[in-house]
Amino acid sequence: MSVTGIAPHPRPQPNPRWATPRRPRVGVVKFSSCDGCQLTLLDMEDELLAIAERFDIVEFAEATSNRSHGPFDVLFVEGSVSTDEQAEEIVQLRRQATTLVAIGACATSGGIQALRNLGDDDAFRNSVYPRPEWIAALPTSKPVSDYVAVDAELYGCPISGRQLLELLTSLTVGRRPQLPDEAVCAECKRLGNTCVLVAGGESCLGPVTRTGCGALCPSFDRGCYGCFGPREAANTVSLANWFGEQGKGGSEVAREFAKFNVGAPAFRKIVERER
Amino acid sequence: MVAANPAGDAGETYFLRRELVNELIQALATDDREVIGPRVEDGTIRLGPVSSAVDLPRGVGLDNAPGKARLVERGDDRLFDQPVGPDSWKRWTFPPRVTQAVWTDGDGTPAIERRLENPPRQITKKAFLGVRACEIAALRVHDRVLAQGPTPDRDYAARRRDNLIVAVECAVAGGTCFCASMGTGPEVRDGFDLALSEIDDGFVVRVGTPAGAAVLAGLPVNPATDAQFEHAQASAARVREQMGVTLPTDGLPERLIAAADSPRWAEIAERCIACTNCTLVCPTCFCTSVGQRSDLDGQAASSERTWDSCFTLDFARVAGGNFRTRVSDRYRQWLTHKFGTWTTQFGSSGCVGCGRCITWCPVGIDVRDELMAVAPPPEAAVVARPMIEALPVVAPLPPVRHEQHGTPPVKTTVVDTHRETHDTVTLRLRTDYQPLINGKPGQFVMPSLPAGASPAISISRFHNDGFSLTVRAAGASTARICALERGETLTVRGPMGRGWPVEQALGRDVMVITGGIGLAPLRPLLDWLIANRDHIARIQLSYGARTPGDRLYTAELDTLLLSGVIDIAQTVDRAGPEWLGRVGVVTQVIDRIMCSCDKTTAFICGPERMMQATVDVLHERGVPDERIWVTLERHMDCGVGLCGHCQLGRFFVCKDGPVFSLAELGPAFGIEGL
Amino acid sequence: MEEMSLTETASSQTPPLDDNLAAAWLTYSLSTATRGKLARMGRLATLVTGEVLMREGDPSDHLAIVLEGRIGLRVRVPERGPITILTVEPGDVVGWSAVVPPYRATSTAVALAPTELALFDGPPLREALASDAELAAGLYPVILSAVSRRLEGTRLQLLDLFSQRWVEPW
Repeated sequence: MSVTGIAPHPRPQPNPRWATPRRPRVGVVKFSSCDGCQLTLLDMEDELLAIAERFDIVEFAEATSNRSHGPFDVLFVEGSVSTDEQAEEIVQLRRQATTLVAIGACATSGGIQALRNLGDDDAFRNSVYPRPEWIAALPTSKPVSDYVAVDAELYGCPISGRQLLELLTSLTVGRRPQLPDEAVCAECKRLGNTCVLVAGGESCLGPVTRTGCGALCPSFDRGCYGCFGPREAANTVSLANWFGEQGKGGSEVAREFAKFNVGAPAFRKIVERER
Repeated sequence: MVAANPAGDAGETYFLRRELVNELIQALATDDREVIGPRVEDGTIRLGPVSSAVDLPRGVGLDNAPGKARLVERGDDRLFDQPVGPDSWKRWTFPPRVTQAVWTDGDGTPAIERRLENPPRQITKKAFLGVRACEIAALRVHDRVLAQGPTPDRDYAARRRDNLIVAVECAVAGGTCFCASMGTGPEVRDGFDLALSEIDDGFVVRVGTPAGAAVLAGLPVNPATDAQFEHAQASAARVREQMGVTLPTDGLPERLIAAADSPRWAEIAERCIACTNCTLVCPTCFCTSVGQRSDLDGQAASSERTWDSCFTLDFARVAGGNFRTRVSDRYRQWLTHKFGTWTTQFGSSGCVGCGRCITWCPVGIDVRDELMAVAPPPEAAVVARPMIEALPVVAPLPPVRHEQHGTPPVKTTVVDTHRETHDTVTLRLRTDYQPLINGKPGQFVMPSLPAGASPAISISRFHNDGFSLTVRAAGASTARICALERGETLTVRGPMGRGWPVEQALGRDVMVITGGIGLAPLRPLLDWLIANRDHIARIQLSYGARTPGDRLYTAELDTLLLSGVIDIAQTVDRAGPEWLGRVGVVTQVIDRIMCSCDKTTAFICGPERMMQATVDVLHERGVPDERIWVTLERHMDCGVGLCGHCQLGRFFVCKDGPVFSLAELGPAFGIEGL
Repeated sequence: MEEMSLTETASSQTPPLDDNLAAAWLTYSLSTATRGKLARMGRLATLVTGEVLMREGDPSDHLAIVLEGRIGLRVRVPERGPITILTVEPGDVVGWSAVVPPYRATSTAVALAPTELALFDGPPLREALASDAELAAGLYPVILSAVSRRLEGTRLQLLDLFSQRWVEPW
């Protein structure tokens, strides 16, 4: 290893937005979700200790019995808003948080439960529950950003532990987090995956889906599910047209997009068009 | 059978029996050389390590069509009868991810290892087996772009040297191939160590270099007979006929550049998904991005260079905006660059006709169709001049010397800081590095702190012992730079770019028109003008800002105004009652003055819309384009013309600019989304 | 009207104003005849720093061409105080609303420096423009072009090109 002999640099400064050099107060809260995104944080076994040292985790029901209603320097919100109570709570929490980060498909697009947004919610309830009047929920499942301003979003179902770490690191080091908004295809090509669409004729939502997962599914020869949601300028119409030209029927194409991020407008548009 | 020893006999032709291919591979693999070649993998043809002839795709073909690639089992013995797959050799010469620099501070002693500029000495030598004619052309294009410019990419040069190129002349035309149209194939003419042409019972082998001859030595080969040689030639001719010319290229660059306003771009955007597949499979695309990684404790940080694409949203982003948000603009940039402005930049077309972008586009967009629609050839044109006829044979690459790069990182010390506005700070930096002290007005540097991004910042003043930078805290990295205190260090690369042509001011009236933070790159020019006052006629500075509190260098401007050395007119967009100066746009400072401005030189800096409005006024006043100079801003990752982000038409804003005359820019100035 | 105490220069009417109008960019392109007619209708006036020429919303009784100095146009923004949105420099017109219905001042015009004006009373000017086709044909286009220039400038100001937003939430 060659050393260029440059004199010592000062340590990276803490984020200039934070006035005091104390440990940042971090909270993790949950709305309508499966818990998988919170688990991603706990699954980062190698880094968990370092994270707990660098950050003061004041609210994280799944991990600690410390409770707090705020204030938070960073608040991670998992889950979609699907009840009146949640709609009120998210507004309260927004007031308590300097930086609010929505994590996961539920919090960023409504999740798979947003399928009910496209249907007749009353009819679903009546057909499933013996006493539908006991279910107190909104007819829609909406992302956090539909209710409050969100400072950052981590996508995925579940989110990527590496992206979460990148976000936390950038907060402490003081630089922009590298969360690129590009297609899964870019990652596939860098990794050297063979395109399942072109070479195999399979369905894959990669071209319109945001990367972040490391092109996980195509790396195992399976088309992308779109679980990180539509990327910027996602031209789902063009991809849906292509699927149609390759012989897929309308309802089959709709099913491709009616998955974890069906609530996102670019995906929802295709589901509604093909119905 | 005579074991010929053709050492030194380049140009000789031999015949290799089919069953000896394995021996050839072993011969290539001597001296720990890694042999890379085509294989069947994941349902298509991929390039990868080849250890014996069994690994090669025997009897397998690849049916390429727009958006589709299907393997075909023919069941014969032919080894190379398939067109290219998605891989190109750039995966080895220009890898998708390369660590650029590593910074560690484990025990309190920070160390920086700059790997991109000092590539590892031990890169495994490779032999590329099965390089098609189009791919040889692509390697040469990359040589031109990456290794023969003013700042060569040393990592690329290190990976490219010492490779053996064993070419294969195509005997089948792929469904999306158009090398015949681009003048790059199908015949393999040069650029190889050995070239194989597959015929029925073996291969006609041409020797291209002594290295190739050395590989053949020890293999039982006979000189090829005339019949064998003609058979090989006929095979290539058949491919040429099969392929035809599907893209007339005569005059294409000019027509394409002139088609900037074609409605076809918006039509393509309806189909294009901007997924980046075309650019990442393209063997000549070279755009990269630099990303930062660091650990949670700040003990270690690294920067990484990765393949990027002009189709991503962030590609043209700058602090305060993005030059190419629409997909139609991004598609126009790619096609116009690849087939048009590349020619001006590098002396050849960027496209080699391999067809990968057509095959691997998930929605099957065919660039040939799009080119014909956007820039249709005039009726008479049928067959075209090939666009790569002028490329030289592989030029020797510069030797890899482990010395400082053209713009090495330099440590500077903060001597003074001055807050100009609520978010802008001027840092005065001390250094001994002469090129920085002797830099030109208008040049810029790229400062960085550990684990931080490296923005391009114009030098705002030169001193005997250093220089000053005026920095706006637009994001986290610049905020950290603004927060530096006296005594702290800042690493800087530079000076970069082409500066203001100060000699154009001599003997003339000078107008300097700027706004906001745009005064910073003009301040060194003003210093020079004032120092050479006696040789310049009238000097007029028009300076606009959003509000009085957003002006830079206010105390200095007041002093200058009082001294009368230059005329200064300041204006703001709006103000409170305490401001008794001018309120209004800066263009209207000069639009009603009665002067004959044809002897004026103008220097302008500001947001492009403001510069455009200013240029309109200057045109009305009669100032000619050769004497209107602007400085442009684009997204820069490298600053030296290698990462591709800052392109504007045929220019790299970082090295051809950032200062340009309007005459040079021509129509490139002011086109939205260019 | 009552707060305007312009100091008027000795009112011999034609020659000095004619020269001033010939030098001002608004009126230099008028024909000699038209410029002469205009000059006869106006008079020189001066404002001291801080003097108000007209107030926003009041009937617009004067049209003036700034000859020297500077007039600031201010609008009321109650939460923010008076904001200067434009200054009128020598050669330019202030009070064009005096010849455009509803003849109401669109902003408050205040002198930011000692200012000399070519001043024209509104009602007589309007009458003259209504009855004298040649004067109207000469004057309206130059006023229109001045207003158009102002509109162009306003659009650029509206784009807020120098706005510097904090780009990231970090």
